[in-house]
Amino acid sequence: MKTQIKFTRYLLDRARTDLRRPHAFAHERVGFFTAGAVTNGDMVLLLARSYAPVEDADYIYNPKVGATIGSDAMRKALQFAYRARSSLLHVHCHGGRGRPEFSGVDLDSGSEFVPGFFHAIPRMPHGMLVLSEDSATAKIRFDETKAGQYASGFTSVGAPLVKFGDRS
Amino acid sequence: MSWLDRQSFLGADSDTVLGARRVGIAGLGGGGSHVAQQFAHVGIGSFVLADPDAMEDTNLNRLVGGTRADVRRKTLKVDIAERVVKGIRRYAEVLKIADRWQTRGDLFKTCDVIVGGLDSVRAKDELEAFSRRHLIAYIDMGMDVHGAAGQHLIAGQVMLSSPGTPCLRCMGLVTDKLLEREAAKYGNAGGNPQVVWPNGVLASTAVGLAMQILTPWHPAPVETAFLEYDGNTGTITAGTRHAQSLGRPCPHYPDDERGDPGFDVRSPKPVEHAPARGLWARLSALLGLP
Repeated sequence: MKTQIKFTRYLLDRARTDLRRPHAFAHERVGFFTAGAVTNGDMVLLLARSYAPVEDADYIYNPKVGATIGSDAMRKALQFAYRARSSLLHVHCHGGRGRPEFSGVDLDSGSEFVPGFFHAIPRMPHGMLVLSEDSATAKIRFDETKAGQYASGFTSVGAPLVKFGDRS
Repeated sequence: MSWLDRQSFLGADSDTVLGARRVGIAGLGGGGSHVAQQFAHVGIGSFVLADPDAMEDTNLNRLVGGTRADVRRKTLKVDIAERVVKGIRRYAEVLKIADRWQTRGDLFKTCDVIVGGLDSVRAKDELEAFSRRHLIAYIDMGMDVHGAAGQHLIAGQVMLSSPGTPCLRCMGLVTDKLLEREAAKYGNAGGNPQVVWPNGVLASTAVGLAMQILTPWHPAPVETAFLEYDGNTGTITAGTRHAQSLGRPCPHYPDDERGDPGFDVRSPKPVEHAPARGLWARLSALLGLP
């Protein structure tokens, strides 16, 4: 099943602005998008609803990776998504331009925490997302037991409307 | 050399971008038929066109592309619009709905911009709600002729309602009172007076707003607009309700309502497959053909 992800320009700008902020010890920041979903043929459209940053106090010192967040951050994110039964997308930013790729650490950690999202909200797809300054990559799971699939593209809805990160 | 060379200021790769965009038009009467024609001229590659009606003699005064032969043959308005579009852009993809747009929401979901040329307030409200739920910019057009003999005032409006900006309710075009009044008439907006030139002004204004969304040509593009047309003075001005609604969150379409509230990935509902975009449509975009 293919997935396309749409954001409003405002929401995407807000996430990028938040994720650019330096942290006292973490090398990068993390946040979460929530999204609604609709099907269209063999396609699922994820429609971003909101963005929540991880609070400063919820990062754990770990100089070996860009950022490590604690269980409180995950709990708050799940609560955030649970209210409106939303998809939950873990997001961080690699900076630069062009389509970013997940690191091995991103993929390993994602395969540990994304299945947990299904325990709270089993009816929605969940996943992880990495942004650059002008593009994105996402891996979305439709089932906690199956590997994620790359999203086939993204749309920033605004003026102008921008499509990016195409993998179709 | 491309047939779109004279509009290259729209962006370095605007031919390709516009060829890859899909627009939806609900209502192909005086306003919508103009919009379809103009979208074909600017090089849009894919169209979703919806209108349940056939051409009648009372449409001849304003329906772009409609002929007396269409009146005789009772040609569907979607077929007339397709003929106009393909007469300009041969390989455009045209997905026709000779019915209410709601019957093929699956096609409208995939649009990049939706334009409404709908008469009733209820229909405008429904199409905007659909657009908001699917994160699609909606452009609404409407015109009317007020007053009695010798005192006629031609008026109209074009509104751009993008997700995250004021909606038609915020800007006062859709109100419960208007919906109630219309419902009392059994949803019949009536055969309001209509003429071709205000329709043309409003359609051109709508296409202009759409082009600010679809191409990066404008230095300060707008994502929300309420433009009022005075057909007696020939002026378009910003509606006062628009300024009042700017900067306030829209209470009518909360962000949490985006998507299908019944969506369940564990038991996907049967869905209709949207037709794939045609090979010819893609080839023609690559080759710069109309």
